[in-house]
Amino acid sequence: MGEILRSADMVAVASHQLAQCISGHAWNVDLTMIAVCTNNEVHIYNASPAPSAVWDRLHVLQKHDQLVSGVDWAPVSNYIVTVSHDRNSYVWKLEENVWQPTLVILRINRAAISVKWSPRENKFAVASGAKSVCVCYYEEDNNWWVSKIIRKKHGSTVTGVAWHPNNVVFFCFQLYEPYAKRSFRLQVLLATTSTDCKCRIFSAYIKGVDSRSAATTTFGEIRFGEQLVQLDLALGWAFGVKWSPSGRSLAYVGHDSTIHFIDDVGPSPIAQTLALRDLPLRDVLFLSEKRLVAGGFDCNPMLFASDDTGTWNFVRFLDEGKTPASDVKASTQFSEAFGKFYGQAKRGVATESPSSAPGTYHNNCITLLNPLAPPGEQEIRKFSTSGMDGKVVIWDMSTISDALARLGM
Amino acid sequence: MANTLRPYLTCIRNTLTAAMSLQNFPCQDVERHNKPEVEFKTNTELLLNPILICRNEAEKCLIETSINSLRISIKVKQADELENILTKKFLRFLAMRAESFQVLRRKPVQGYDISFLITNQHCEEMNKHRLIDFIVRFMEDIDKEISELKLSVNTRGRLVASEYLKQYT
Repeated sequence: MGEILRSADMVAVASHQLAQCISGHAWNVDLTMIAVCTNNEVHIYNASPAPSAVWDRLHVLQKHDQLVSGVDWAPVSNYIVTVSHDRNSYVWKLEENVWQPTLVILRINRAAISVKWSPRENKFAVASGAKSVCVCYYEEDNNWWVSKIIRKKHGSTVTGVAWHPNNVVFFCFQLYEPYAKRSFRLQVLLATTSTDCKCRIFSAYIKGVDSRSAATTTFGEIRFGEQLVQLDLALGWAFGVKWSPSGRSLAYVGHDSTIHFIDDVGPSPIAQTLALRDLPLRDVLFLSEKRLVAGGFDCNPMLFASDDTGTWNFVRFLDEGKTPASDVKASTQFSEAFGKFYGQAKRGVATESPSSAPGTYHNNCITLLNPLAPPGEQEIRKFSTSGMDGKVVIWDMSTISDALARLGM
Repeated sequence: MANTLRPYLTCIRNTLTAAMSLQNFPCQDVERHNKPEVEFKTNTELLLNPILICRNEAEKCLIETSINSLRISIKVKQADELENILTKKFLRFLAMRAESFQVLRRKPVQGYDISFLITNQHCEEMNKHRLIDFIVRFMEDIDKEISELKLSVNTRGRLVASEYLKQYT
């Protein structure tokens, strides 16, 4: 089921064909298990990013009636949240080796598209086709999850959500109190992308769930559901919004084959747009403050880096690809001569022959990129991608990061 | 005339490669539904600009895309009345059997001879590049098929007429 792909300069480490089409995946905190959504089920595998690992299926979570569109695994509490096109969401808790679902009433009347746990795991945000975002939190008194809806402002389906990260990892916060206070303040920001081509940042501050100091941010006093920033940079549908590890920057992609970088997110952000000549992208992942990898309909992850002046540039495709089949090279003088005779016909035939599918490890669109690192890590070396071809591919940047360092990136 | 065929097909191929970036998208208007947006056209933000590629006045190709589906409509060259009838009958024959073709549409779009409807489901099950190859080859072969049919109709007509008239000579 898994293939080992390591060779001299390759970035792809392992590839696993798990289903016909994967709509999302999530790793647990120590990278020993992966939850993969296919159709209306979530399969949990005993997995590992190591090249020679064999993945076997442990559990199948079957509760949804329609396609499971998003899954997220909370690192500390070990809860899994799944959302589906049937407007429902379940929070799964592992009890005695069985995953028990708890229904969450989202109060949306259309499909749910994507879900993300907040960094403190006391809330999760759901993007939905009802042109709204739900933020759900746990109510101790009633022992269930309650949802609050951000109704305004979205012109169309919300495609992605991203929480502003904590600056400091949980167990450190007692030592770095001043930093911790500052990081909590920003934890209530939620970025969303939508098919109305815009990216917006909202406040998801909930009284009683977030600490009081969180209400004061760089934007001033804010209430739940207030739109703070609206970015109208793309001409195509917006997808794949992510914050950088420190939360200073934001990136998202547009269906018009553009990628947008926003630095110094605040009342007056600095925005950069890169127009690409290839097929549109679907998702991005920040590997560090200065490096970002993005994947999409090209089936090939693209690496972007920002230099000292803060300008982002495309660096390279990460998938070297298998040697193209259409390479017909004449090896000897004799065959070259023959080639001249048949040259006309050959060229004619070549144009009619089927276009070779790209020799990349993904055969179909890459839809999701996930980091393979402990949460709060500032520099990510490994990541996994899943796509519409049903594969999960592990990528390791260690082999090329030295080469990039030499180039000064 | 033949030297416009290659650029015409290359243009269609490139447009399809770009347009076939489809993804699963649940319906915004009806809950729990998943419909090809290009057919219903209820939400304009989900539709992309339609592209019309013309080879000449008689032959053209309309490509309409949306977030989860793509519609390609083709108008085939019809030089005279006979070709008109042959094209209509032949393509109607194919369209009636659209089930087995999967990507074919049962009725062509108004003003065109044949239409294809490709959804994200097709892109997941089948290889995108093979689909594009299929459509381009279809367009190449259609012209040949119609010419062959016309030729055989004329030949047969001539044979029948000469056989019949033999009894009077």
